[in-house]
Order: sequence, then structure tokens, then C-alpha cells
Amino acid sequence: MGKYQLGEFEEIVLLTVGVLHGDAYGVSIKFSMEERLKRSVSVGALQSALKRLEQKGYVTSRAGEVTNDRGGRPKRYFELTTEGKRAIEYAREIRNQLYNEIPKMVMDINIKKS
Amino acid sequence: MNISDPPKNLLRLFRWFCHPDLRPFVEGDLIEIFQHHVKTKGKRKANWLFAKEVGKLVRPSLIKNLEGFKRLNNYGMFKNYLKTSIRSLKNNLLFSTINVFGLGISMSVGILMILLLTELNSFDQFHEKKESLYRITSSSKIHEMELALSTASHFIGEQLANQVTGVDEVLIMRPGISTNLELRGGPISLTGYYATQNFFDVFSFQLLEGNPNTALVEPNSIVLTQTLANKIFPNVNPIGKALVLESDGGWQQRTIQGKVTGVVEDPPTNSHLQFESLVSLSTYDQPAEGNGWNPSFRTNQKAFQQSFVYVVLNEDTQPVAIEEAMADIMADYNQKEENPIIHGIQPLDEFVTSDKYINRSGASFSKKRISIMLGLTAIVLLSACFNYTNLSLARALRRAKEVGVRKVNGASRLHLLLQFMIEATLLSLISFTVGVGLFFVIRPGFLALPNPAANGFSMFELDIAPIHLLYFLFFAIMIGILAGILPAIFLSKLKAGTVFNDASKIKLFSGLSLRRILIVFQFALSIGLIMCAFLINKQYQFALNYDPGYETENIFNISIHGDYIDLLETEYKKLPAVVATAKASTVLGYGSGEMGMAHSEDKSHTGMALINAIDENYLTMHGFELIAGNYFEQPLSEGQEPDQVILNKSFLSLLQMGSPQEAIGKHIFFRNARFRVIGVVEDFITYSLNLSFSNAFGFVQHATEGIYEARNLGVEIHTDDLLTTIGDLEGIYRKLDPLHPFDGSFHTDAIAKSYESEKTTFTIISFLAFLAISISTLGLLGMAVFTTETRMKEISIRKVLGAGIANLTMLLSRSFIIMIGIAAILSIPSTKYIVDEIILNEFLYRANFNIADLLSGLFVVFLFSLLIIGWQIRQAAIQNPSDLLRDE
Repeated sequence: MGKYQLGEFEEIVLLTVGVLHGDAYGVSIKFSMEERLKRSVSVGALQSALKRLEQKGYVTSRAGEVTNDRGGRPKRYFELTTEGKRAIEYAREIRNQLYNEIPKMVMDINIKKS
Repeated sequence: MNISDPPKNLLRLFRWFCHPDLRPFVEGDLIEIFQHHVKTKGKRKANWLFAKEVGKLVRPSLIKNLEGFKRLNNYGMFKNYLKTSIRSLKNNLLFSTINVFGLGISMSVGILMILLLTELNSFDQFHEKKESLYRITSSSKIHEMELALSTASHFIGEQLANQVTGVDEVLIMRPGISTNLELRGGPISLTGYYATQNFFDVFSFQLLEGNPNTALVEPNSIVLTQTLANKIFPNVNPIGKALVLESDGGWQQRTIQGKVTGVVEDPPTNSHLQFESLVSLSTYDQPAEGNGWNPSFRTNQKAFQQSFVYVVLNEDTQPVAIEEAMADIMADYNQKEENPIIHGIQPLDEFVTSDKYINRSGASFSKKRISIMLGLTAIVLLSACFNYTNLSLARALRRAKEVGVRKVNGASRLHLLLQFMIEATLLSLISFTVGVGLFFVIRPGFLALPNPAANGFSMFELDIAPIHLLYFLFFAIMIGILAGILPAIFLSKLKAGTVFNDASKIKLFSGLSLRRILIVFQFALSIGLIMCAFLINKQYQFALNYDPGYETENIFNISIHGDYIDLLETEYKKLPAVVATAKASTVLGYGSGEMGMAHSEDKSHTGMALINAIDENYLTMHGFELIAGNYFEQPLSEGQEPDQVILNKSFLSLLQMGSPQEAIGKHIFFRNARFRVIGVVEDFITYSLNLSFSNAFGFVQHATEGIYEARNLGVEIHTDDLLTTIGDLEGIYRKLDPLHPFDGSFHTDAIAKSYESEKTTFTIISFLAFLAISISTLGLLGMAVFTTETRMKEISIRKVLGAGIANLTMLLSRSFIIMIGIAAILSIPSTKYIVDEIILNEFLYRANFNIADLLSGLFVVFLFSLLIIGWQIRQAAIQNPSDLLRDE
């Protein structure tokens, strides 16, 4: 993990931004995450995670058009950067590696148990 | 569309705390979510969820930064001011250095004063009964002299304890324990008091060993301080050990075959009462074999010089009531006697700071001294503040543009005021660190200053405790405000329009006359203090070199504590370096002498006179010249009382005895004994230059015992090897008196020592003068640099037009010279007055101050100013005018 610092919550936000490609802004990310994770995500937690991701250079943002709903406030769209994509891949690779190295036996037992 | 708005207050709250970069986007998100919730979950639930979301948005990464937004707090503004201040101090390094050093120097004195005052206030505060502890004082007359003493009679103490209601405790103490002990580590001397058994009830000194209720009950009980107990009885429990003490001073002589009953903690430095041992007062009831013990000491109302009486009053008792009760007790006595005795009562917090009473039982530092020192410190501090004010005002022109820009950008006058105050305070804090450093340099010197009149400064420790840091901070900030207030007011008053339009107009406001007044004040101060130091030093030197009317050179005086004086004299005479020896009861010229009433034979004339009992060699060794009559010839035989006297001329005029020749053969009475006049000598300094009880002086022959016993041996030495000779003298003395330390000194040194009080005053004033001149020199340097810098172009043009260095010097220094002149006119007469009337008030014989002494301060200040201005002008004059004028 030395090269790409990524927390669990941050990783999910980053993945969701990727999933919602082109349509990733505050509300859509929140609802999408809530749907998949089956738990509520607060705007505060999400915004601060996005801010951290942006500071790390994994996402960029741009202000969207002003529409009449949302009280006339603009949307802020997020997009993965190359660095962000690398971070996702890196995290996935680490996980796969770890997964593959778990002895078969352990997984079997676990599976049977559940 | 079904637009329902989220709760307004919550939204406003969100807008207030959210970081402005995120605000519109997040607000949009919140509204969208809210609308979604309204549709799916209903208005109430949506409101609730909205509140929850807003609450969860309060996190460090999302709220706005603390700095830069005045509505949240003023942190950013202060940060900016701090930054500007640091830059401005850095840009004007010379001015900042001048100010930092000036303020730092004066602050070191300020720190010293803070510590001195807090320590003075802490005196005796550790006594639990401090609120109700008082000391009984006495006022009366003896031999026409008004006396105010902090002692009282044993009688009044007992009366207060037994007859007066409202008095909880009466503690009676007597001085007098004074012993030399021979220990393995060398001889030590020990002092102490007799005290009644309630000593530990009245004072809160902690008894470490023994029982506080019984330690001072039995006769011959001795309580030692911890240090002394460890010295006398190392590594053993001192309780119950036998100890022999001498009671030497204080009205009687006795030997106490004592037993140690207690060990008390050493009295702290901030206790007015300092002692090494305590002996039960019941010891004093036992008859003593030595001189001076009087069995009537308990009932003698006149013995008000003998005891210290401390009382603890009942909470409801007024001190005045006790004074009235004591007046009632003394009423009978006072009606009968010529000189009434009036007893007063003095609260604990005046024990140290009052200078009304003599015979104190410990350290004193009078209010008068404190106020003089405070005044001098304030003057030096003010002087340094003026430096800052002056230089800042002078530089105001350069800061004017900054003020203008700030005003245009919306700064209010208050903001600017605050900014300049912060700048001054910052400088003051920096100076403070310099001041602390300097304080540690001057502290040892200050503590070592001798001053016998007030127990010296050794009564202080001057340690810095944490609480002092708070005082210091407050002090530094106050100084900053004091120094910065005038420039701040002036600068914040500037109008933006004027600043940008026509900068030359500002000069009209720049407080030129105020600056001049400040500079004149500084010069006057420096001139005055330097002059003061010169004059006091002259008087000190004058006193040292004053011809007392007799020889003192090469005469070495040794105190004698027993009956071996003749033996010692015989031994000393064998030494080759000893030219002459003479015995006497007292040593002339530095504040000692036997005083008594003298009458003429028919008792028609009386007066106070001093007397010295001498042997037949004394007058010749000291070079007294007889005007008439003869010297003493034969020593008195064992037990014979003296009956012949040699007088000085003042004695003759005191008793109206006519010319010296007529006086020979007449008789006088001294202390009711009859003497025949056999000789007359010229007048001489009888007591000391700064104090005189009487100029009348008589010599009688010394007796083998009694008041005319010779207690002092004078030895005239002529040798190249002083150290060996004095070593020989001490060696012979040691053989004859192993108990008492060798106490000898040259007559001239002893006289010099008696003027230590003046020397201390001189040292302090010289130091302050040095500080004042340093500060004003720094200020002058700043002003000179500024003047030459701003007038550089003018100087160059003048040079081009042919002005020489002499002309330029005149031009630039004229205003300074005028100011020094005004300062001299103001300060020289007032300083002369202060020195004559206050500082040297006590001296009877004054040095004559000539015009050079009076102008000394002016001369020094003038010299310094010329040097500085000259240096600056040289700097300006060697510049090539074309470099400066080329640009225009």
C-alpha cells in the first residue's frame, strides 16, 4: 500500500465515481453507494472523502451547469484521473494477491461454516 | 414541480460554517436530497434527515478556515499585524536595535524592582497569626534626644498579658545571646534571643525536634536552628545535649549552662526576625555574676530599650484600644517623670518597611527608600519609552503611505491603533528577553552592595518564581503600550487623502514640539544623574581624605575581649615592625564613643560630651597636639578610677571655661564623677563626618575595669611586608585568646567602611546614570541618523554649492545643542538642590562643589552628543554628492 494510500471508504467512493462515469456528483454517488452498500452515507463523510481523494490527485472535479431544481445551485461532477485508475488497479491487485495466498483449507472451512 | 424548501435556519447555519469553495455544490446536493426525501418519506422526516446531514457536515476538512475571515474571529488580522510588525522591525534594523537595547537596559532595572517589591511584600507572610500580630513600640526622650524605638519594657509586656483584655498572647524577647564556640571545623559565632515559652504559638517557625509547648519553659533551655544544630552536633540527636552559651551584649553578661530542648527550622530570608538560637527567658530570672544584670528588669518601666514585645490581639480588639490601655498603665509613671514614655502598637506588615523606629529586631527597608528607587526606575523606564516614541514619530512619514493604503482598504482607526500598539508590544517583549539577561548580570552586584544602615541587600534573594513570569508579562505589555500609545494615536489619525496627495503636509503634524520636549527631558535626566554621581563621589572622596585632626595612617586597631591587653601589648612591642602601641576604650572617627552628661564645677553649665579612656601613649601615637597643659604621665594603678581629663576646645566652650590656659586646673563633672583638667587639644572629628552627637570630647585615663576599661589596642606599624606582620599579630592574639576571632583593621579602612551607605548610594546612582546616558545616547544616535538620512539631499546640494564640513556640522548639530542647553538650564540647579538637601543631608562637613563639578554632567552629555553627531555628519559628508543627486 506504500504507493497508493487509499482507505476502505475512499476506495468505494473512488470505485463508485468510476461506475457512474460522467454522471458522478454528490447526490448520485451517495444514492448509488447507499443502494449497493445497504447503509446510509452522510453528505459530510462523502464530501470529506472526495476532498481527500482530490487532494491525493485520484479525482478531478468541474462545476456543472446551473439548473432550476436544487435551489439553483450547480452540481459538481467528479471524474477519475489516470492516477486514480492506477490506485484502483493497485488496490485490486493487492487484494487478489492476498486472496490467492490464503490456503485452500481455510477458505473451505470458512465456506462450510457459513 | 413540488418545490419545498429545507428549514431556513439550518441552511443559514450551514452557509455560515461551510468552506466557501464547497458551499454552492454541497448546498445543491443537500437540497436535492431533501427534495428526494420529501417525495419519498414526507416533509417531517425529510426535515429531520436534513438536520442530521447538516450536523454531519461539521468536520475540519469541510468548514471554513479560521484565518482570513474576520466574522469568525480576529486571528487573521492579528497574524497580519504581527507579520507587518516583524517586517517593519526588520526593515529598520538600526532603530529596532536601538529600541530593543534601550528598553532592555531599563527593563532589567524594572525586573529588579518587581522582584524587590514582591519579595518585600512576602516578608513575614508565613506567620499564621500575621493578621493579629503586633509589636509594641516606645517613644521617649533621653538626654534631650527624641527616641522612637521598636523595643519596649518587660514591664509593659507583663501588664499587657495580665491586665489588658483582648490580648491573646504576649511574647517577650531579649537580645543578647552572643557566643563564640570552638568547633572541630573552626570557631563559629552564634547569636540569639531570650524568649518566653509561647514563642512557637506566636510565630510560625516550625520546631523540627522537641515539644513546642515546653521547649522554652525550663531555665537554661536552648533551641537551636537546624544549620547550627548540625554544625555543633553533627550526626547525633542534639536533644538533651549540654551546651554552654555566653550572653554578652544586651545589657548583661552571663554564662548559660544550657541544655538543648529543641531544633527549629532556619528562619527564612523573608523573616524580619533572624536568629540562630533561642534561650528560655526564665533563664534571665536567675541572678548572673557578670555585669549589668538587674533584678528589677521585670518591673522597671524605664527599661524600654531592652525587650521586644510582640502581641497577638483578639480578633475583636482594636489596636487603638491597646494603645489607650498602655497609656493608662503608664499614666502614674508619666506624671512623676520629666520624660514621659509613650507606647505604640505596630502591625506586622510595617515591621520591615517602617523607618520610624530604631532598635529593630531585624531587616528593614524603608518606604522612603522604596519610593526613591521606584522613582528612579520609573524615570529610566520612561526615558527608554521616550526613545521609542521619538524614533517612531520621526519615522512616521515613512509609515504614512502604509497607513493610507490600509485606510483605503477599509481599516478603521481602531484597527490601525491596534496595529501600532501590537508593534510596540512586540518590541517590548523582545526587549524584555534582553532585560532578563541583563538582570542576571546585575543581580549579583546589587545583592552584594554593602549598606549597614539597612542590613544591606542581603535581606533579599531575588529569585524568579513562576508567579513573577505573569507580572513580567504584564509589565512588558504595559511598557509596550506606554511606549506605543503616542505614535499609534498620531499615525492612526492620518487621512488617506492627505497622505497620497501631498506628503509634505504631514510634517506639520509630526509632533515636532512633543519630540523636542521628550529629547530635552532625556538630556536633562542624563545631565542630572551624571552630575549627581560626580557630586556624591566627590563627597565620598572628601570624607575619606578628610583630615580628622589626628593621625590614622599605619595604625592597626584590634578589639580585645578579655583581661590580656597588657600581655598582648608586651608581646606586640617585641615585633620589629611595631613602632608604637596605645590602649583605648573606643576607636575614634567612625561612629563609636562613650556619651554622657558633662557639668561645669559649679553645675551652671551642662551638655552632652563624648569621652575616650586612653593610656599615656595614645595622644602621641595619634599625633594630637596640646595647646595647653600636659599629657598623662603614669598609668592608673589596679582598681583606681581616673580623675584627670584632657579636653578639646569645643568642650571648653560647651562649659564656658574660658581660654585653654585658664581651663587648666579647673574641675568638671562627667557622669557625676569629678575630673581635673590637665590639658587641652585642638578640635577634631569626634564621631563621624555625617553624624554628630557632640563636638565636645574629653580623654581620661583608662581603668582596669568598668566603663573606662581599655577594649582596644592600637598598633602603629611600619613595614614593607604587611601580610607577615598582620599574620604575626594574629598569631600572638590567637595564643592569648583562642575563643574570639581576631578582629582587627586599619584605622583608615575602618573609617572608609563607615561611609559604605554613601558608597552604596553612589554606586546605585552611578549605575542609573550609566543607564540613562546609554539610553539617551542610543536615542540621540537614532535621531541623528534619521536627521542626516532625511536631509541627505539637502546636505549634498549644500556641498555642491560649497559648504564645508564645519558649516554642515553647525547646521545639523545646532538644534541638538540648543536642546542640550535647555536641558542643562533645567537640570543643573534642580540636581544641585536635590544633592544638597536630600542626598547629602546627613553630612556635617561638605565638600565644596566648584563650577567644574556642576558642569560635569553637561560636559559628558555634550561630549557624547558631539561624537555621535560628528560621526553621522562625517558619514554624510564623505558621500559623493553626485551619487545622491544624479537621479533627479
